[in-house]
Amino acid sequence: MSALAEKELRNASADVGLDDRRLRRLQTVGILCGLTAGAWLGAAETPTKLVTLGLSPVVISLAMVVGVFLARWSLPALIQGTSYIAADLRQAPHLIVWAVLAGCLWAVANTLTIFAVRDVGLSIAFPLWNSNSLLGIFWGILFFNELRGADWRRWVGVLGGALLMFVGATALAIASSAQAPSADALRGVVAALTAGVLWGTMYIPYRKAYLTGMSPLSFITFFTVGELGMMATLAVVYSGGVTPLLHQLSGARHVLFWLLLGGFVWVVGDLFQQYAVKYAGITRGIPLSNTNQLWGLLWAVLVFGELSGATSGVYTQVIGGSLVMALGAGVIAFSSVSRREHVRWEEAAAREGARYGVDPAYTRARGEGRDPTPTSHRRTWVDWLVVSGATATLVGFAAVAKAPELAIRWQWAAVLSIVTLGALVGCGAALWRTTRFS
Amino acid sequence: MSTSRDESRNWLSLVLHDVHFWVPVAVLIGGLLVLRWIS
Repeated sequence: MSALAEKELRNASADVGLDDRRLRRLQTVGILCGLTAGAWLGAAETPTKLVTLGLSPVVISLAMVVGVFLARWSLPALIQGTSYIAADLRQAPHLIVWAVLAGCLWAVANTLTIFAVRDVGLSIAFPLWNSNSLLGIFWGILFFNELRGADWRRWVGVLGGALLMFVGATALAIASSAQAPSADALRGVVAALTAGVLWGTMYIPYRKAYLTGMSPLSFITFFTVGELGMMATLAVVYSGGVTPLLHQLSGARHVLFWLLLGGFVWVVGDLFQQYAVKYAGITRGIPLSNTNQLWGLLWAVLVFGELSGATSGVYTQVIGGSLVMALGAGVIAFSSVSRREHVRWEEAAAREGARYGVDPAYTRARGEGRDPTPTSHRRTWVDWLVVSGATATLVGFAAVAKAPELAIRWQWAAVLSIVTLGALVGCGAALWRTTRFS
Repeated sequence: MSTSRDESRNWLSLVLHDVHFWVPVAVLIGGLLVLRWIS
């Protein structure tokens, strides 16, 4: 591209108020969100260990989704209030359909991952379903102009980084495969790969919503309707009816709290992942949030004592695979979006807005992390009712919960919890200062 | 009232005519078939 054309592009963006400094800040926040999402999504995978206690995969998935549902309604009500969400929906009501569809995709994928963990173990299943980032990158380039207009270094950075992460993930899987159960390897591998395809495709609705300007807090509120509806249907069908399902849930009541909590933790990670997709795009945000495998490994090795007694060769492979994954994430993090590429994003956003008749000022302002009409949205009694209801439900399940019979190293659990919470506070503060959670 | 209903019908029609919509729908159906085979 000539210098003149580049100058015109720069001017086109400057006209809408997004200067270079602001663009860099949004990118940095998006990348921080991706990394924080990795830490929280990794921690949320630990409840899948309960599958070894003999619970049905469908019951585990349903209980996690109930926790997810509670979090997806209470966190947005607490952070912005339901009136903010209602105002968002009035701007782009068509996104309800996309959110519900994305929720259905998530529920089916999550159920498949639990079958995969049962059949081939977490260490093999994890890298297979994390291949979703490669598919996500493909959809981002094909449908939403991501990486279009980017120079060759950014193409190499994003694609090379994603491939490095995939290679690292595969090395980790090979290293720990000796410990994996092998009830039915083929079914487990197919389940994990299919979950990856579902999750990779789920980023189409995500990107659609965020290019249009919707806040992730609004999107997830309707996302979870599809999620819970689909999961409840699957649970009833695969349990043989409502009564057998209730019987299974009743039998598992002592561990339901841990599954609900896993779902709640997952939502925090997913929320950061959604902001990463919004501000860094699918091509950067999703591979970075897939560092959750490193965090999952840390929890597995340090807290649950997996790999204990393994040979030094296995440890070398684990450390090597982890370093390659971290290197891939680092390469992607430094392949930030250029001005030229961002103009192509804006073109995709304008196309979406025009197609569905969304106010261009709303789309543009939200894309820049601003509120188009800066009005305060006060909490109402509805918000406090939602938050109180979710809290009371969690407390109720906690009251009948028993610690699962798993060997846990509590000191390591405390260390990882503190680091994960620190990431939440640091990234949450940066996100608030830059975008006000828009 | 009828305007509101017309608007809803309008954006629903736009969604159904959007090729981006049918990709996730096809993948969802495929996922459900795999789940049926596995379970």
